[in-house]
Amino acid sequence: MFLQQISRLVLFFVSAASVAGVAGLAVAADDGAVVSLTSEQAKFFETKIRPVLVRECYGCHSKQAGQSKGGLRLDTQAAMIDGGDSGPAIVPGDPEASLFFGAITHTDFVMPPKRKLSDAEIADFKAWILDGAPDPRSVTPVQTPAQTIDDETIAQAKRTFWAYQKPRRSEPPKSSLTSQPTAATAETVIDRFLAHQRDEADLQPAADAPTQIVLRRLCFDLVGLPPTPEQLRWFDAAFDKDPDAAVARVVDRLLDSPQFGEHWGRHWLDVVRYAESTGREVNMTYPHAWRYRDYVIDSFNADKPYNEFVQEQIAGDLMPAADDQQWSEHLVATGFLAIGTKNVNEQSGAQFAADLADEQIDATTRVFLGTSVACARCHDHKFDPIRQTDYYAMAGIFRSTKTFFGTPPSQYGSFGGPQQRRQSSLILLPIPDDQPIGRTYSADELQQLHQDIRDRQADLVGLRNGNTTSSRRPGATPQQMRIRLTNELGELSAKLGVVDENGQPRSYCMGVQDNDTVGDAPLLVRGEIDQPAGRIKRDLPAALSDVSFSPKPGTSGRLELARWIGSDENSLAARVMVNRIWQHVFGQGIVPTTEDFGMTGTPPSHPELLDHLAIQFVQSGWSVKTMIREMMLTRAYRMQSTFDVASHEADPDNRLLWRANVKRLGAESLRDAMLSIAGELETERPVGSKVAQAGYTRVRNGQLSDPRDAIRRNLQTTLTSRRGQFGEIFDRMRNGSPRQQAQARNQLRSAMGNRQIREMAADAYNEGSLDSVTDNHRSVYLPVVRDFVPRSLEVFDFADPSMVVGTREASNTPNQALYMLNNPLTMRLSESFAERLINEGGSTKDRVEMAFVLAYGRPPSTEERAASHRFLSSSGLLPKSAYAAFCQSLFAAAEFRYLN
Amino acid sequence: MFTRRDLLKHTSAGFGYLALAGMSSLSRSSALGAGAEVAANPLAPKPPHFPAKAKRVIFLCMQGGPSHVDTFDYKPALASDDGKRGKYGGALLKSPWQFRQRGDSGLWISDLFPEVAKHADDLCLIRSMHCDQPVHPGAMTQMHTGTAQFVRPSLGAWTLYGLGTENESLPGFVSLSPPAGSSRNYSSAFLPAIYGGTKVGGAGGRFAQAARFISGGGGPSVPDISHPKRTTDQQRRQLDFIQSLNRSQMPAGDGANVEGVIQSYELAFRMQDAMPELMDLSGEDQRTLSMYGADSDPTQTFGRQCLLARRFAEAGVRFIEITHGNWDQHTRLTEDHAARAEACDRPIAALLADLKQRDMLKDTLVMWGGEFGRTPSAQNGNGRNHNNKGYTLWMAGGGTKGGLSYGATDEHGFEAVENPCHVHDWHATVLHLLGLDHTRLTYRYAGRDFRLTDVYGNVVTDIVG
Repeated sequence: MFLQQISRLVLFFVSAASVAGVAGLAVAADDGAVVSLTSEQAKFFETKIRPVLVRECYGCHSKQAGQSKGGLRLDTQAAMIDGGDSGPAIVPGDPEASLFFGAITHTDFVMPPKRKLSDAEIADFKAWILDGAPDPRSVTPVQTPAQTIDDETIAQAKRTFWAYQKPRRSEPPKSSLTSQPTAATAETVIDRFLAHQRDEADLQPAADAPTQIVLRRLCFDLVGLPPTPEQLRWFDAAFDKDPDAAVARVVDRLLDSPQFGEHWGRHWLDVVRYAESTGREVNMTYPHAWRYRDYVIDSFNADKPYNEFVQEQIAGDLMPAADDQQWSEHLVATGFLAIGTKNVNEQSGAQFAADLADEQIDATTRVFLGTSVACARCHDHKFDPIRQTDYYAMAGIFRSTKTFFGTPPSQYGSFGGPQQRRQSSLILLPIPDDQPIGRTYSADELQQLHQDIRDRQADLVGLRNGNTTSSRRPGATPQQMRIRLTNELGELSAKLGVVDENGQPRSYCMGVQDNDTVGDAPLLVRGEIDQPAGRIKRDLPAALSDVSFSPKPGTSGRLELARWIGSDENSLAARVMVNRIWQHVFGQGIVPTTEDFGMTGTPPSHPELLDHLAIQFVQSGWSVKTMIREMMLTRAYRMQSTFDVASHEADPDNRLLWRANVKRLGAESLRDAMLSIAGELETERPVGSKVAQAGYTRVRNGQLSDPRDAIRRNLQTTLTSRRGQFGEIFDRMRNGSPRQQAQARNQLRSAMGNRQIREMAADAYNEGSLDSVTDNHRSVYLPVVRDFVPRSLEVFDFADPSMVVGTREASNTPNQALYMLNNPLTMRLSESFAERLINEGGSTKDRVEMAFVLAYGRPPSTEERAASHRFLSSSGLLPKSAYAAFCQSLFAAAEFRYLN
Repeated sequence: MFTRRDLLKHTSAGFGYLALAGMSSLSRSSALGAGAEVAANPLAPKPPHFPAKAKRVIFLCMQGGPSHVDTFDYKPALASDDGKRGKYGGALLKSPWQFRQRGDSGLWISDLFPEVAKHADDLCLIRSMHCDQPVHPGAMTQMHTGTAQFVRPSLGAWTLYGLGTENESLPGFVSLSPPAGSSRNYSSAFLPAIYGGTKVGGAGGRFAQAARFISGGGGPSVPDISHPKRTTDQQRRQLDFIQSLNRSQMPAGDGANVEGVIQSYELAFRMQDAMPELMDLSGEDQRTLSMYGADSDPTQTFGRQCLLARRFAEAGVRFIEITHGNWDQHTRLTEDHAARAEACDRPIAALLADLKQRDMLKDTLVMWGGEFGRTPSAQNGNGRNHNNKGYTLWMAGGGTKGGLSYGATDEHGFEAVENPCHVHDWHATVLHLLGLDHTRLTYRYAGRDFRLTDVYGNVVTDIVG
């Protein structure tokens, strides 16, 4: 079954040969044994080979010069044999297979770039390679540094440190109802644990919160949306009769609604640094990342057992699947390992591969285990008992894994170019989408694409032969032209690569697969790629594991790693997750440092409770919904957030939960609540994402496409009769010299009139903009492109998608105020809210009452009512604008953004 | 009856805010217990670790790597060895520009910067800079955050975190028109978001972009800085209503959150006036505009930015950065380096002169430099490659020694050999000038105390005046 799947998978694979460098150094079979040279060989090398290398090559390909162009260095034997981005430079004994020889004979490359070596020098190199390329420049093997953490330290940490021991069951403290004067209902086990520690600290719990506050909490905490007036009325009555039953009913209903996964899935997306682009200098889109986003949302809605959820994300590709549907789901899940930040512009393939594995190790250990193993990349961990060898034991697993994050090659191959040196493909899903997602091309468009590619290829050939007339940009050097053509070829090829022969998009996902060759990785001294010491056997971190790790021969070991992490065989996975859930329910984790359960993290406020919850979690079949339900049905969840001087002095951080924590709503909840109250919220899930529609492209200036292209398209459709005239103007605006561009702008202005152009430009910018103000979908579906997060999210402390973020900030900045006062989205939704009030409420009085109920889930106080009427009659605005300003003010005021 | 705005109008920038904060806390419930803390303003000015030489920083960031051997690092041997093989291969290329001794100090500066050269006696050249990264993105990031490997707070964010800012109606760290995709270089990373740089200009808002595209120019912008329709009076009335809601929603005893919201609105309201006003150069006289070259090309863009930088500095902004890009001349060195220098030489000189005449240079640290320098050997004939092992960066004012050359590269300019100054050392020195001990300016994140210089960095005391 298992093997059969692997072989089927291979069928669905897109050619992965283009994933240059991702495999690379990790599993190089050869250990570079040092053979001593004869004296003739040494003399030949010193007189004929080395001087030429130093003179002609070291300038661009040596450590000394700090240059490794094309990922290639030529200053050691190992470096020459390992080669660069294009492959091994030297194959001893085989000049024809040696890229180095191809380069100096100007067959594969033209090297040195300025002038060809003399025939005699070339003959020397040929003779040398034929002789086996004997080379005295073998580096003395790098010594593995001495360990600073000894076995006894690890053993002791395992014996004594709380987080490295399995959760222990303890008897819940006896009920102590006497200390809770207002508790009219039975205590839950959680309440008993909490009460016990409060009692010991002599703290009194706050009283129950009013019903509307409880309901507002339930709705925002479960689905990220405000309660409706109908829900408020029902809950008011039901809570009076039987509070427990009323709360339970709301919890059950909201847990079942699809909005639950959209809200809780987003919590998870924070932690896994979900984004739809690579970030960094050359910010390339991930047009298929949204599948992982939907997978997360669906998993939370389905209450997928958390252990399976974990395993699928680390090794879904290697897990058995019941059918193709599940297989697809498993493949998409591994997107977790592929969506991290990447520097696709990295020169060195080996560096890129090392950074990629590092990013995967960091995310995996911090997300699931609350432990930073990546700290040990360069040296033993300074605080936790994690050795550098632990890091490289895990690195072997990820270095034996191939990551798919780019775009499939077209029939013309892949085009890198200096901006995207690191290429990668995608995984074709076993089940295609019902409706193709992404851009579809007509037969004509397809033909044009092919033609465009062939034209540029011809131009490139022409350039190589010294023909520069085909260039369309005056004043460009041949090198600039070559870069430009390569970039254009890359874009065109990316369009063709994702569609079938009929121009229909194929169904791809991001993710990982095991490499063809797998093996242990060498320890890199100080984390430097050119300082490899001995290889470290693949294994689990010693301090965290008691089980032996034996990956199936020929596999990476990722499956075994996944099964160990997603289980109760380690002491952390369950604790880390229940702590995350606790944090979202109660506003602060039992361990407040949600990603750091190590020595430097904050110890748990309630260790027995944390263990109790972790054990319950596992026993419930790792059910997230069950855990949320248990926490929300407590009395603690219903407490008021009332301040108390004495309690505050004793426990200023409220770690013992003597009152409810006030929570600032997340950016998504704020935007979604405004949409919902304004009556504009689109609750259907959109297909794909804006990034999927745009395809594989480089993001610049917050734009997914060049607005000039959109303007040109608009012009062409609306002004077909004048196409010739405008097409030429736009060509000059795009490709002309600065002077020609200025002229073209003037021509366009006089031909069209400023206003029309402004509107068209604004439309074009909105079309490709990552910060659309017209989108009414839930915020979780907005495009998340690194460095260009929509303002509505970014301004309210959205999690930086380049980092693992378990706990968001809750800042209070003037930027937020400016956003609430002046942003086009806020203004639009205030106007819709006002319209709703005007349509649904008969009188000013009705409208004011209704507005407060919609916005805050309660009627206005006497004071607020008076202030509202005063404002509406003296705002200095026309009635409709006055209502809009009134509504905007309700959005803007503090209560809207806090859960009390 | 005063409105808050009236009140603020009658007080100076910093005190207005303080007065407001005081007033707000008075309005809080008198039941406020001794234990409840007043919402601390994270941007309030903080005392330095020790008396500071510099109060603020203007960083002129030369993206792309200007050639040190053509600007501020005089290498006579490079001229005499022109055409010979360099240390790492390639033919040495003598500078196309003449070097001359300038000022009383006699610092050697090339003709690429004739105007800046007139301020030689205020310049402190560090001719032995080096960093670990040979390519642009990595080196730029290291220059700003100390490391290219991890996402870390930038120098400006650390400065703001350490010192706060003196004008609460303006952001404390401003980056003028930073290049797209460089947010990491002015971000706060794990520091609270409020310490991150505020981008002014650059990509701008949707409509600003559209307008700029059509008009071919356009001023810098701040998102959502004004309401398209409402008058100041209308907006003030709305704001008074919002604040009355806020006050009625203030929970008893513990108003920190709502207090913060109230403050943020007052600041924003002030920023609506202060930012556009500050960025509106129409009040500057013609003499000033032409001194900065802000009135015509090729100096217009950078001239306006330098003038803005002076205005921000004067208004009490703690850290101001301006980026001047495209110094990456692998080819066309003669033409393009000349064009880049021409666009910024006069504005920089004007900035130095202007600060001096306002007696601000003594406590304003002006820094000029790129992410690395360029090779003494030629590339593509008339070009130079990246050189991170040795390059020059200069500072002026803010307590640095003027007319000083510190450290040196080898005879041709490949490598820093005398008193090498790593980026970490430079960072430590900048913080030192600001009165901050780089080993004590730490922030606890993920269980560890982080600092700008990680475990490195030595203050270059020789350049401190």
